Amino acid sequence: MADIATKERSRPKAAPSPWKQKRPKKPGTGVASLNGKWGYLFVAPFIAMFLIFGLFPVAYSTKLAFYKYDPLSLDQAWTWVGLANFKDILADETFWLSLGNTFEIWALSTFPQMILAIGFAAILRNRFLRGKTFWRTILLVPNITSVIAVAIIFGQLFGRDYGMINSIIGFFGFPHIDFIENSFASHVAVAVMITWRWVGYNSLIFLASMLAIPDDLYESASLDGAGAWKQFRYVTLPGLRNTITFVLIVGTIGGLQVYAEPLTLAGTNDGGSSHQLSTLTMYLFNESFINIRYGHGAAIGILITIIVLIISLINFVVTRRVASEDKK
Amino acid sequence: MSKKKFNRAVAAAALIATVGSGLLLAAPARATATPVTITIWTFGDVIEPAMLRAYKVIHPEVTIALKKADLDPSMTNLTTSCAAYVQNHRVGNPPDIAAVEVSYSGYWRAYPQCFTDLRTLNTSSANAAAQSLVASSSNIAANLNATDIKTNYLPWRWAQGTGYNDSVIGIPTDVGGLEVAYRTDLFKKAGLPTDRAKVGALWPTWDKFIAVGKQYMTKISAADKKKGVGFIDNVGTIYAASMNQGTYKYYNNNGTDAGQLVYKVKGKMPVYDAKTKKQKIDPKTKKPMFTTGWILNPNITKAWDYTIKANDAGIGTRIGQYTSDWNVGMTKGTFATILAPAWMMDYIKGQAPTTKGKWDIADLPGGGGNQGGTQLTIPAWSANKQAAWDFMNWYLAPQQQLTVFKTYGLFPSTKSIYNDPALVNFKDPFFNNAPVGKIYLTGIQKLKPIFEGKLERAIDQAIGAGLGRVAAKKQGSLQSQIQVLVDLDKATK
Repeated sequence: MADIATKERSRPKAAPSPWKQKRPKKPGTGVASLNGKWGYLFVAPFIAMFLIFGLFPVAYSTKLAFYKYDPLSLDQAWTWVGLANFKDILADETFWLSLGNTFEIWALSTFPQMILAIGFAAILRNRFLRGKTFWRTILLVPNITSVIAVAIIFGQLFGRDYGMINSIIGFFGFPHIDFIENSFASHVAVAVMITWRWVGYNSLIFLASMLAIPDDLYESASLDGAGAWKQFRYVTLPGLRNTITFVLIVGTIGGLQVYAEPLTLAGTNDGGSSHQLSTLTMYLFNESFINIRYGHGAAIGILITIIVLIISLINFVVTRRVASEDKK
Repeated sequence: MSKKKFNRAVAAAALIATVGSGLLLAAPARATATPVTITIWTFGDVIEPAMLRAYKVIHPEVTIALKKADLDPSMTNLTTSCAAYVQNHRVGNPPDIAAVEVSYSGYWRAYPQCFTDLRTLNTSSANAAAQSLVASSSNIAANLNATDIKTNYLPWRWAQGTGYNDSVIGIPTDVGGLEVAYRTDLFKKAGLPTDRAKVGALWPTWDKFIAVGKQYMTKISAADKKKGVGFIDNVGTIYAASMNQGTYKYYNNNGTDAGQLVYKVKGKMPVYDAKTKKQKIDPKTKKPMFTTGWILNPNITKAWDYTIKANDAGIGTRIGQYTSDWNVGMTKGTFATILAPAWMMDYIKGQAPTTKGKWDIADLPGGGGNQGGTQLTIPAWSANKQAAWDFMNWYLAPQQQLTVFKTYGLFPSTKSIYNDPALVNFKDPFFNNAPVGKIYLTGIQKLKPIFEGKLERAIDQAIGAGLGRVAAKKQGSLQSQIQVLVDLDKATK
């Protein structure tokens, strides 16, 4: 056996085997061909899922946006209405209000969250910190907690009469804040929930990016006499530039989909008495399933897509500028 | 184990014990039947699990799969399932029984194609045989269809489950009723009578109710007022209570699927001044100015005005119902009254167990009340209609409704037991031994049928938001009404 093995192994060296030379001309066998036909097989499950749960709903709701649709009607379920759904939506002040609410909540949650996350990451990066893994795990716990559970707990914190926050405010003699009826306060409440939930996740992303900054940069900076703050300002922050862009994009997409938090806080599908907590997705749900106008719902969905596209375009331009600055 | 859970467990054990003892006698004679699974889509406490265990004793071959969702999502699910049936002729999808709440009954009435006409189903003889073997169970005779059992039920509740062309699409479960739950200890402290008959006599009308509230508030210390103490938990509940005392809400029955919208009428519309945010005053005559235009119908205006009057009188705490503040306030005595449907009694017991004996129940101002109620329906695409109909007949029969009332406080919709001493003489120690059966019974018998239309839920939501804006001082009453009219035009377009 050993002899044969040695022979086999030594054979190619002695004389190149004929089959090995032919191999490139023979597709369908060997590792190289896996990139061809077999590749399709491996991605097939994803493609199938994507077609069913991704592309089909998009195509279906695009059609829906141009129709008045009554799925329970026996004789005429689909009625072509052209652009009427879009006209209705754009003329509805609740849409514009929801749009404004969505962006206000987005701004109130994204920017404080970013600052907090970078701060946490900077603390976690500290070489002398004990129990690093423990702290990292703790930070991620809010992220895996059910949104509804979070909303219920925060609903109790923000209660107008017996909520913990108002009890503290009242203790110092200030009037209670109505975190549901007051438009700005309610947005702050939702933003706090979102921040609490996502700050840990983002700090881990920032941490990973910070750890990728070479140590010699810090060493040379400290040799030049830079203190901790200056090191952070002139070494860490510029190194995080791409990550900040990334977090901003992901945060924006998430921000446009805010639903469970304002819904649970408001307690009604229309987002409160003056729609102060209505976000774009809540407006979509309310139009589709409470006012039972599926065409309107689909049209709102398309409008949200357009808004995301515009924001992505802005992001794209900004990112490219950031990238070109990096090259300098 | 919380007290509420413990009570429930005891009740369940008692149920199983009584029905189970019947089973022991009967077991040998039982014929084997083919197993069947009934899927029920429901919300809240419409179907009590303890009752299902009792049914399992009579029908071991029937498995009941209970799927609970929130009220609005459960209706969305039903729509999807019905669309699959109507558009693609899919049969056999769940559910076999769907619970439909009153606020949606008008919507579903417009789509009778989604439901089995319950006049076409008959209870099976096998079912009757199985039940006769269990001593404590009520006997459901064979060959009963919806027309046969109609006389058992309260007429205006029955009407909520009927479609156009007289088809019967739902059988009523409980009836909400609506009375005033009040705290005797707080009433005593404020110098008000505590005896339920005297308390009821204090407020024959909503105006008087508000006056009593004002009187109560004068006895509240400034410190307590600052803490948000009030007479009633939420003045917004007065709106729905007053609405249901009328004969119509937002629709008239004109025999069509959608009904005729009557939320607005042509009338004397106050001229609104955008600057002062009040009604304009004619500079010459010094009288408020009016013009002819669309206004909310008189029924809505009446209920709206009571609510606003109560709000302006400052007798409400403005705590939203079913919020954490509400649950805490119930125990702390933040409010002295709640407008409580019968099913809310169990909720109060669960949330504020320490207030036992401090509560009592008095008549609702304005005479008779209702809030909520549900029908059980059998969707047209169900594959187990027979088993579902047999179950519904058992579950909604007078005797079972009486058991549910005694254990959970849901008031029976079956008028055939309204003379039953077990109901009329039923007293609840939690509510100071009030004869709750008798009190709720008197209330619901005063009500007249109200036609529920297709977009009831959306309209209620828009008006609720309007009242909320006034309560939150975002708009004046008149300004808010003007916006409600715009919102309603939009919602019903």
